Amino acid sequence: MAVQRPGLLAGRIIHGVIALCVSGAVLGLLAFGYGPMPALGRALDPGRGAWASAVGGVPVRSQTLTLAGLAHPVSVVFTSHGVPSIRAAGQDDAFLALGYLHARFRLTEMDLERRLGEGRIAQLAGPSAVPSDEFELRLGLLRTAQREWAAMSRSSPAARALLAYARGVNDYLAQVRADGQWPSVFALAGVYPRDWTPVDSLVLQGILTQELDFTTTPLDYALLERSLGRARTMAWFPVLPPRPVPQSPYDPGPYRYRGLAPIAPQASTAAPASQPAATTGAGPATESGGGAGAAVAAASVLSEMNELPAGLVHRAPDSNAWAVNGGAVAGGVAMLAGDPHLPQTIPSIWYQAALAAPGLAVTGVTVPGLPGVLIGHNSHIAWSLTDTQNQATLFYTEQTSARRPGEYFWRGAWHPMRQVRYTIPVRGGAPVRLTVDLTVHGPVLTRAGQTTSVDWMGNIPSPDVAALLAVNKAQDFAQFRAALAGWRAPTQNFVYADDRGNIGAISAGYYPILRHGDPWLPLPGTGADDVAGVIPYRAVPQVYNPPGHAVVTANQRPAGPSYPYYIGTTADFFDPGYRASQIGALLRGKSRLVPGAFATIQLNVTDALARRIVPRLLAALHGQHLSAPERSAAGLLAGWDGSMTTASAAAALWWTFWDDYLAAVFGPWWRAAKVPVHLDRPGLAVSAQQFSLDQVLEAWTVADPANRAFTAPGGPHRTADEVMRLAFGAAVAHLAARLGGTPGTWAWGRLHTRRFPSVTQAPGLGYGPRASGGDAWTINAADGGLESHSGPSWRMIVAWTGRGSATAEGVYPGGQSENPASGWYSDQMADWWDGRYLPMPPAAGYTAGPVRWRLSPGRGEAA
Amino acid sequence: MTDPRKLGKRGSYRLGRLGAPSTPRGPWPAAHYPSFAPPRRGPAGAWLLACLAGAVLVAAGALAGWWFLPFLAGLAAGLAVRLGRLRLRAALAAAVAVAAAGWGAALAWLALRDGLPEVAVGRSIAALAGLPASAAAAIAVTLLVAVVQAATGLWLGRALAPGHG
Repeated sequence: MAVQRPGLLAGRIIHGVIALCVSGAVLGLLAFGYGPMPALGRALDPGRGAWASAVGGVPVRSQTLTLAGLAHPVSVVFTSHGVPSIRAAGQDDAFLALGYLHARFRLTEMDLERRLGEGRIAQLAGPSAVPSDEFELRLGLLRTAQREWAAMSRSSPAARALLAYARGVNDYLAQVRADGQWPSVFALAGVYPRDWTPVDSLVLQGILTQELDFTTTPLDYALLERSLGRARTMAWFPVLPPRPVPQSPYDPGPYRYRGLAPIAPQASTAAPASQPAATTGAGPATESGGGAGAAVAAASVLSEMNELPAGLVHRAPDSNAWAVNGGAVAGGVAMLAGDPHLPQTIPSIWYQAALAAPGLAVTGVTVPGLPGVLIGHNSHIAWSLTDTQNQATLFYTEQTSARRPGEYFWRGAWHPMRQVRYTIPVRGGAPVRLTVDLTVHGPVLTRAGQTTSVDWMGNIPSPDVAALLAVNKAQDFAQFRAALAGWRAPTQNFVYADDRGNIGAISAGYYPILRHGDPWLPLPGTGADDVAGVIPYRAVPQVYNPPGHAVVTANQRPAGPSYPYYIGTTADFFDPGYRASQIGALLRGKSRLVPGAFATIQLNVTDALARRIVPRLLAALHGQHLSAPERSAAGLLAGWDGSMTTASAAAALWWTFWDDYLAAVFGPWWRAAKVPVHLDRPGLAVSAQQFSLDQVLEAWTVADPANRAFTAPGGPHRTADEVMRLAFGAAVAHLAARLGGTPGTWAWGRLHTRRFPSVTQAPGLGYGPRASGGDAWTINAADGGLESHSGPSWRMIVAWTGRGSATAEGVYPGGQSENPASGWYSDQMADWWDGRYLPMPPAAGYTAGPVRWRLSPGRGEAA
Repeated sequence: MTDPRKLGKRGSYRLGRLGAPSTPRGPWPAAHYPSFAPPRRGPAGAWLLACLAGAVLVAAGALAGWWFLPFLAGLAAGLAVRLGRLRLRAALAAAVAVAAAGWGAALAWLALRDGLPEVAVGRSIAALAGLPASAAAAIAVTLLVAVVQAATGLWLGRALAPGHG
């Protein structure tokens, strides 16, 4: 036998060792991943891993499924669009089945949302998500949810529904753990959802509340006041809207002051008022509350907000809802229309369903993660919501001292801050430790400049689930109103119509009222400016069977200027009344309205502000020397009806003109005052999204054309007409440069699109951008500027035809399944886009359909 | 060390050694006879059969969740290069083909037999992974993972197996 030379042998041994190490490293990498890189071997295995999600894309077929948590069999009948009718022998089983279906079709969406609220997004997405996690843990959605669950009686209907719902979700998780058919995002990340708990549902409730209710307006006011000065800030961002801009409140009064109601005792998750650390310690020598420190604090908090996913800070009006009764409706009963405007995503925030069990029969849209129908109808009443837009967020400047670390001064004494500690897991990185300080007002958001805490009504545990379940079962307005008495946040305008021909609305929720201080600014935290109470429920805006036979809410101020309570300023995103007045005008004097007429209104793209301003513009242009393009453009406006259709060149011209008009008036002031727009563009920049500026400019144009604001600082005197002419010329030039030289070709759709990003943020899985009509002020709203990212997330019309009898139709942009490979991923998009509606299952649900599931109690398996 | 008393005596002179006692000598190293015989190619049919069998095993393993079978296929090919004195290039090509064909066949099997929407899923996998939202991109990366396993396994097999080089 040949014997190798020693050198050769050594070389082969070294070669072998190297090969072994490299192979081990490659296999290890493929098996376990490293840092942000997932375990590609497992993740891309054709039979398992991400490819296994293909099972979710197969058309759903009739089958029997066994769920361990069920007590009795449940029938689920699907429509051709995947809308389930759940029929169960008990309410617990109905909510369990709903939880199962939510998990089956929306697990990724649910897990992402709860991670967002619980500060665990970085565990999935990596270090870039740490700022979001830090903010959410500081704000306290998780603390609030835990507190709410701890206080909930386990025998209450809400607790039973939450527990049953969680069981349903976990039944599905058990199945998918066994068969490995996870949604792709989990297999690719190598991070899998844990079991669902009631706290998770309540965190989702908190996320919704934050999206609808949490604002930074006082911080914006602090920065505006510091740069523009107090007088101009309050003149241009007034508390009450300027006359003569019509607001069309749905509750016109008369009003009575009924004192204040206390906030529910021990409700807040802020630190309880502790025993003072020292009762005799002197407070700080100077009161803070404004100046450079406040500006630094505001800048710090706003910078942190910029790291959050879009939509988590409330910045736009949301929704229309209206109801008519009596002779206004064909059949003489009542009819209701609702279209909530929310961030446009795929999948949608909504999952449509019908639930029926003894004592429960309801149909409409649900929120994956929560039991119950949020918008819809039961056998006797129909309801929808719009956001009230009141100020629910207050910021406090805590008095601290370097000599007393960890303490703050409140009501004459020093108090210790309560501390809560968190560890944020980070995929591909080291865990991040976070300590949150809590004062009696709420969590401390920053110590930069000044220690600033936030008192947000959403941090008060709110029995929304209980209220929602009671609404689902209510049979008349008294029960409906009673069900909402405990609703705290987010404040919502609930619109109502029933089968006996009654209509109404009530703006339920907590409206914080101070006895001292300007709530639209950061407030001193020493106690005098604390929230003294809330508007009593019997004094919140509400109406029942108004004499005009119509109630309309479209995020406008729900009450008129004589309402005796503070509810917010023009900067709190109240709609200036453009949509509400347009809806009111379309309903006024009408009789025998049918659902098709409501649909036409929901799809209306008339811009009410344009109809008021364009005549003024044309008057200002009359007799002036215009260039050929300007004459052509003016001619387009002269014959225009204000309709923001995709093909309309006048619409493109109007929008560009209004933007340029705002810039021409306010831009010089902003530049001269060095307003720090970069800190919070939506809250500070001059744009058409700044509703305060829209309203004041409209008011000056119509009634005060010589207002000093038209004259730029240091510039020659100008009036509204002169500035409008300048802005018009600028708009024509902008459009010519962007779209080409012929005004007739400047179609609105060439500028304006809608986009529906995927909830996973993965490009290619969303929808759009696609040319679209409408704008922020049309009934068929498109919020967010030229690329709209918010709009009608659900359109519903319910027409009562008699006792217990209704026709109802609805549609939303997207589909019931979150799996891009499923035929139910975006199958409703075309209908929504083209203004078609689909029949809703009745409250008792369908008993027959193309696909039927039988859910049986037992150990989980499918047959 | 030369012993002067032996000088001139019979048998006292050894070339180069001058009567010093001889030292024990180890065996000479074996002579190295390089082989000029070409590596075995083997019959084409055997190659095809082996590759087919390998691909089927890899595909079946993928369906069962044994994602590491392409590595083992490469390892076997590497051992065959050494022990069977097969051509390296041919073995590498075979290992890569087995790995890619195995995983590709698994995907095709799921699409054809179970009607799974693999193309649509591939598009979403690619999008989630930050690639262009194209099924081809996802499939290419998937097959690349199999190929890298096979190549790594072949290297290891060839490095560990005894034999000529």
